[in-house]
Amino acid sequence: MSKLIERRTHRNPRLLVFYGAIIAMAAVLAGGLIYRQLLNSGKYAERERIQSLRRVVSPGPRGNIYDREGRVLVGNRPRFSVTLDLAELRSELSAELRAVTRNYASLPEEDRPNYDQRLRLARVSVAQRYLDQVNTILRRDEQVRSARLNNHFNYSLLLPYVLLDDLAPGEYARLIERLPVNSPLQVYTSSTRHYPYGSLAAHALGYIGVNTNPEVEDFPGDDLRQFKMKGAFGRDGLELVFDDQLQGEAGGAIYLVDPAGFKVPGSEGTVDKRMPVQGRNITTSIDLDLQQATEAAMKDSEGRDRIGAAVALDIRTGEVLTMVSKPDYDPLLRVPNLAPEADVAKSGVWLNRVTQGQYPPGSTFKIITALAGLRAGAIEAADTKFTCLGFYRVGNRNFPCHNRNGHGERDVRGALRDSCNVFFYKYGVEIGPNLISAEAQRFGFNHSTGIELPHEFGSPRIADPAWRKANWQRFRLADGVWRDGDTANIAIGQGDTLITPLQAACMVASFARGQTETRPSILHDPKRPVQNTAPIALPPADYNAVLEGMEQCYSFGSGRLSRVDGLRGAAKTGTAQLGRKDMAWVVAFAPVENPRIAVAVVLEGAEDDNSFGGGTFAAPVVQAILQAWKDKQDRATGQPVNLSMR
Amino acid sequence: MFPKRLDHARPFVTLSVILLAWIFLPLGAKVFTRASFFEIQAPLVVADSFVRDLQDFWSNKTRSKEELLKAGREVAGLVAQYEYATQQNAQLQAEILRLENMLNLPPMPAFRLEPARVARRDFSAWWQRLIIRKGENYNLTVGAPVVFAGGVVGRITEVHRYTAVVDLVTSPTLRLAATVEGDTRPVSYQGGLNSSFSAPRGTVDFVPLDIAATASAPKRLVTSGMGVFPPGLTIGEITSLELSPDGLFRNGEVRLDRRLGTLTEVTVLIPLNPDE
Repeated sequence: MSKLIERRTHRNPRLLVFYGAIIAMAAVLAGGLIYRQLLNSGKYAERERIQSLRRVVSPGPRGNIYDREGRVLVGNRPRFSVTLDLAELRSELSAELRAVTRNYASLPEEDRPNYDQRLRLARVSVAQRYLDQVNTILRRDEQVRSARLNNHFNYSLLLPYVLLDDLAPGEYARLIERLPVNSPLQVYTSSTRHYPYGSLAAHALGYIGVNTNPEVEDFPGDDLRQFKMKGAFGRDGLELVFDDQLQGEAGGAIYLVDPAGFKVPGSEGTVDKRMPVQGRNITTSIDLDLQQATEAAMKDSEGRDRIGAAVALDIRTGEVLTMVSKPDYDPLLRVPNLAPEADVAKSGVWLNRVTQGQYPPGSTFKIITALAGLRAGAIEAADTKFTCLGFYRVGNRNFPCHNRNGHGERDVRGALRDSCNVFFYKYGVEIGPNLISAEAQRFGFNHSTGIELPHEFGSPRIADPAWRKANWQRFRLADGVWRDGDTANIAIGQGDTLITPLQAACMVASFARGQTETRPSILHDPKRPVQNTAPIALPPADYNAVLEGMEQCYSFGSGRLSRVDGLRGAAKTGTAQLGRKDMAWVVAFAPVENPRIAVAVVLEGAEDDNSFGGGTFAAPVVQAILQAWKDKQDRATGQPVNLSMR
Repeated sequence: MFPKRLDHARPFVTLSVILLAWIFLPLGAKVFTRASFFEIQAPLVVADSFVRDLQDFWSNKTRSKEELLKAGREVAGLVAQYEYATQQNAQLQAEILRLENMLNLPPMPAFRLEPARVARRDFSAWWQRLIIRKGENYNLTVGAPVVFAGGVVGRITEVHRYTAVVDLVTSPTLRLAATVEGDTRPVSYQGGLNSSFSAPRGTVDFVPLDIAATASAPKRLVTSGMGVFPPGLTIGEITSLELSPDGLFRNGEVRLDRRLGTLTEVTVLIPLNPDE
């Protein structure tokens, strides 16, 4: 007892210090524990969540693009590939790594591969083992690409590794039958853009690019480490303009991963998942049958593409029925359809000539000049005649007609039929440039058409004194003074006036309806109303004089090669010069009694080829389009015909 | 006290030692043990099957002469029908051969037909697998297709000396490349999760969008001929199809032949040239 008392009373003061230190340390530990477990628990829980969860984003397939009758112009094709689920290989990889390490153990240390190299070897070895199974089934001899595989391990571990891509249907069938259901090897299906008609309407439909950063909306986990599958975005044509609609809704998944980043196997490994959804479809106004006929007509006798553009509109609604720009390209591979020796940069292959091509309108502009002359009273529909001697003198210069011997006496009908330059020199100069320009503006030649396609030529040009005065320096003209010779030039569609083929088609569609503007659209709307824009506002006799001139041109005049038996049409040909090239034009519409289709075709001739002309070269293309249209109308019996259009 | 407790624990220790030994046993030894176990069991399975056949035999012996005469007449009628069908088949085969020669087509894969009795079927895996009474002794091979009068039965997954295990078309572990009758595009068929004695079903994936099927207007699903099965064998009927979430395909349900639940006799197709 006394010993006990003695022990209690004789405390060593150094022990007190020690106790104090222990208590202080315990307090620090307790404080740290409280700080970490209570005060900072949320932060660590969040960090743990971020470290253990991964987010995978998979883009939705794009919507389809249809023609006006619901035929697929651009769709999605399933793309079958055989993939390897890397998360299933974890134990196999560890075993293989040990085996590789053992194999190199006997080498001197300096010759042994380091850990990273052995890891790479193990990965390739395991993947090749699985690929060999596939090789056996498909009788192939494929090898794993080491760099790609290791890159996938490092950056896309949760995504399936594609061993073989774009399998043929037979290969796909053999694999799904012969691969065990629970194998790490799986047949994976993705989608790729599919163009069932190849380059058809390539410029209108456009093409897509690779989107490496698809986003999934309203899906949790955007702060997690993400793996994104490649998506697509529109780069040109309808694919670009309607990208928001066509773009599918991306899907997402959140996976639980182990410390090495492998997905936890089984259903508990998937924390959240949402399937991607296909984008919305678009129905274009393009008529596949007409488009195919136009594309075929735009080839020469040797099957090569002619350079130029062709467009046809539904006169009532302004919907584009066919749109061809040549040369074109393969929208899937984005390879130009050109001869190997062709100069891609100069070919304008990426240019949609229908909406972006800038051409002088040539004699097709005489429709405008005739309307302006009739409106001004300079041309009388019934009486005005003028004798063409093969040239017309303006100032001190003779302006030639294309018929050097002269057409003889012509009224406005005959002048349009034979495309007599002299008649239009005479009355163009008489009414002056401003009235011609005003008529052209009335038909919308001074602004773009507003079609739903990208990069439409936004500054079409009507040359007149005001334009010349403002722009002569910019376009390196001699001076800003407008002369009668300039008026003679613009009266026949030459000079500095530039329009697109689509504008020419709109002009002729408007004229056919007896109106002045047409708003084109490349989207099909079965309920789209008949267009109703400002009327031409000429007396019927004046309007009919121009119409009869165009009808004669179509039937037996310069545009007779565009005539289709059994179809009453109206046309105007033109040959314009741009630099050293001739441009062959034809604008036309049909049927005259119930206008339904308007066509504009322009073909670019070779440099210094003076034999090129609209009536000879562009008219057969128009004929092919009208013939295809008529054939289709004949097949579709019982269609109501609106004869009260104008 | 301590030795007594140890004595009580002896069975557990022994079990633990055996389990540990099994865990650390090399894979080859395990496979050998398992195969040996199966082979030891096989005579029992086969004997049991023969006993059941004997039971059937004796039950048939009890039938009256009238019944047997009636059955004999029916069999004679069937034989006549089959003889006629055989003649037609021979003509059609000759025609096919002629056309193949004209078109320089490669010959269709040929099979040897090996009929086999069903030896055993476990209640726990009724729709997953069955055991047939032929094995290596008849040169059966792993992966060989198994068929019956109604179409596909399944595929051989294990071959033993006198027996073989067939993975059934109703099992979720069996996947086939199929086509919808009248179409050539391959689709994927997989057995469903079928409970014992229920109506068997499977699933079909990657069906092209232009194919439709309903319960009232089902489509026949047949083998594609691109895998191990010859083309045109009935798998089942597609009774419903719905759009996949990504909009690329349709997925659906396949109704399988109810006779698959009462199979007694099947035919194994053994490829004559396995390399083809």
